[in-house]
Amino acid sequence: MAMAVLRAFWNGPVGPKTTHFWGPVANGGFVVAAMADMKKPAETISGNMTTAMCLYSGALMRFAWMVQPRNYLLLACHASNEVVQLYQLSRWVNAQG
Amino acid sequence: MAASKIQALWNHPAGPKTIHFWAPTFKWGISIANVADFAKPPEKISYPQQVAVACTGLIWSRYSTVITPKNWNLFSVNVAMAGTGIYQLSRKIRHDYFSEVEEVPAKE
Repeated sequence: MAMAVLRAFWNGPVGPKTTHFWGPVANGGFVVAAMADMKKPAETISGNMTTAMCLYSGALMRFAWMVQPRNYLLLACHASNEVVQLYQLSRWVNAQG
Repeated sequence: MAASKIQALWNHPAGPKTIHFWAPTFKWGISIANVADFAKPPEKISYPQQVAVACTGLIWSRYSTVITPKNWNLFSVNVAMAGTGIYQLSRKIRHDYFSEVEEVPAKE
């Protein structure tokens, strides 16, 4: 039963043999990078980059929803990125005062 | 005549009324932010973030040429991301590993 699900995913239209999988995985790198940077002092955060990331992930969440086929993996990656980038942005804003 | 061409662009299925236009457009913000950060001291550059920017740029550059239809806007924005990411990484690596000679006298 589990094998059938895995095989369906492996061969599916948004599976690991397609670009629809690896694009979102690459974007997951931003989430990993931001989580690694959460421990760093707030002075090292780039306000420019973090703001650009917040706008970008907002747009890409909408894009993932509207694109054919609908890409839930991309949506999940960018929803996570939006959360972690907003957190980093709040740390940066607090460090500005 | 020009007006009808502009109208055709405006109503295009990947035009400014759709997310297929704005998603790559917002992605340019990342490269623009990175170019603005060229002026920042290398101590402030984040290795994980710039590796993510460079890798995403390279992977998406490749894939934007194999999807249907090819999306040259997406291709160009990801080439720019890879370029700025690699440049920022080279700045930080050069600072961390190739300019230690200057720092030693200062510590003493």
